[in-house]
Amino acid sequence: MNTIVLMTILLLLAMTIIGGKKGFRSFIALFLNFSVMIILLFFMNIQSMNAIVLTLIACVVIACINLFFINEITTTTKAAFLSTLLTTSILLLVILAVSDLALIHGFGEEETEELGAFSPLIGISFMQLAISVIIMSTIGAITDAAIAIASPMREMYIHHPTSSRKELFQFGLLIGRDIIGTSTNTLFFAFIGNYLALMIWFKDLSYSIGDIVNSKIFSSEFITICCATIGVILVIPITAAIAAQFFVRKSSDRK
Amino acid sequence: MNFLTKRLLDMSLSKKLFWLVLICCVIASFLFVHNNYAFYDDTIVAVTATKIVDEQTVTDRHDNMDKLFTQYVSAVVKNGSAQGDTIRLTNNYSKSQAFDEPYKVGDELFVTLTSSDAKKMSATITGVKRDKYLLLVAWILAIVLLLVGKKQGFSSLLTLLVNAVILSFALDLYITQSNQSLLWISAGCIILFTILSLLFVNGRNKKTAAAIIATLLGTFSSLLITYLALTVTSGKGLRYEELQFITRPYEIVFMAGLFIGALGAVMDVAITMSTSMFSLYDKDPTMSIKALKKSGLEIGKDIMGTMTNVLFFAYVSGSIPMLILYFKNTLPFGYTLSVNLSLEIVRALAGGLGIVLTIPLGLYSALFFIKRQRAKL
Repeated sequence: MNTIVLMTILLLLAMTIIGGKKGFRSFIALFLNFSVMIILLFFMNIQSMNAIVLTLIACVVIACINLFFINEITTTTKAAFLSTLLTTSILLLVILAVSDLALIHGFGEEETEELGAFSPLIGISFMQLAISVIIMSTIGAITDAAIAIASPMREMYIHHPTSSRKELFQFGLLIGRDIIGTSTNTLFFAFIGNYLALMIWFKDLSYSIGDIVNSKIFSSEFITICCATIGVILVIPITAAIAAQFFVRKSSDRK
Repeated sequence: MNFLTKRLLDMSLSKKLFWLVLICCVIASFLFVHNNYAFYDDTIVAVTATKIVDEQTVTDRHDNMDKLFTQYVSAVVKNGSAQGDTIRLTNNYSKSQAFDEPYKVGDELFVTLTSSDAKKMSATITGVKRDKYLLLVAWILAIVLLLVGKKQGFSSLLTLLVNAVILSFALDLYITQSNQSLLWISAGCIILFTILSLLFVNGRNKKTAAAIIATLLGTFSSLLITYLALTVTSGKGLRYEELQFITRPYEIVFMAGLFIGALGAVMDVAITMSTSMFSLYDKDPTMSIKALKKSGLEIGKDIMGTMTNVLFFAYVSGSIPMLILYFKNTLPFGYTLSVNLSLEIVRALAGGLGIVLTIPLGLYSALFFIKRQRAKL
């Protein structure tokens, strides 16, 4: 049997046994996200399309799947959704500035030989693709953090309906600070795991520190990790502020 | 402005000192990377003017339209014997910029001098000096982390640094002691990473102890399952040739990467489970074990979906440019996906298994500590 098929079945079993109906739904969400990714790739192939715009549209769809499909459409998920989109847009500005300066797009000289048989003149902007990689690698983590902050804020508001907007915002920040360490770690280790071979390669070929930090492969990886982590941190105050607005406004409507 | 001065006055002395030291560090490091030309052996030039001299539209053998540009670049040499001299370089680049890029005024480039004759200097461009941008992004990250996270931000910054140093040492150990298996080294690393990160983030208490046990059990059991799955299917469907930059036995490197990659997410789940179990118990110490178990499982179900997605996107997104290059070179769809994504997908699946298994493991290890605490009362 194919390894991927076996692993997929194992994951499906584990998620359904432990998570029940919701676990099964989460598995379907994973599958849907994979489909979004494939559809995104199809559209990126069209020369006249802007890859960054396509990525932003994909992010909206992914945020919908992760928030509204796995959970339900509630004030909490709506607040998390809006925070995800706002964070992604702000992050995009940072990424645009850095990638224009640092020239990290395309393939490194180390890859030239391996890709020698390919025609590189494909008419698709690799600068845009590089930006889209950074946004896509962090979108999962941003929605995760947004919902992780918005949910306890809702609980807090239910238990203390008299809390002011500012108190709720402060509470959101407090929750955010609790998860900041683990979310930064999650991304850090995921990237390290992905690029372990590259690091061993640098060490084996005894690259100097200067060679490593200036090489396209390392710097694009480093900038991706940093930008992804910046996104996960920025989402904390943004979600705290938006969720506070959402919850407190709702109660004043009721009066 | 009033608000800022008030904030500044409210700050304690040690805090003021901390920010002052930090600002000094930022300035010093920027001054250093903008003037570190002497530390490089390669010749560095700074671009002072550019001019596009030629432009042509081309179509490759797969009917992709692109444009080729030729650019003259004037630059000043920043180090070495020719320091201060002006040099003219020629740069060819394409519109899609897969292997090349246009240069603009202010860019700093590494070049190899092909003729150092003072009158007619010529050189080829070998790379871009990117160190200052890495520093810039790293400082943005550090400052955002400190502003938003305060104390916790500082400790997570420390954790990241310490983990990076441990990793570097471990890899050095692996390279120099080639008889040591990478799997054992990474197993040792994982234990160190877990204990240090969780202690740093969460302090020394029962919650941390429960989370450490759950993390280690979760990581090792998911690795075991993945290993068994790989053995049973004899790795069918995995395309290791895509594992780039390989100087060592690829299966081991892949397994070690898989091992470390899921660790962060597993830790995240473990600490969430144990913190929420303990806070439930603290709120109502009379709560029955059964009720605790039920609430814990509900929390686990809530985080399962988003956490598996975090790993999925972190792993798979990096392949986008390569996938597009394959597609545009009219390679078959199925082949392109299996060559470029098979390993990433197995990583995401194995990480997902780790996350899901850690939910009950975290639940029971927290319950174990809660039961012990209860027995003492």
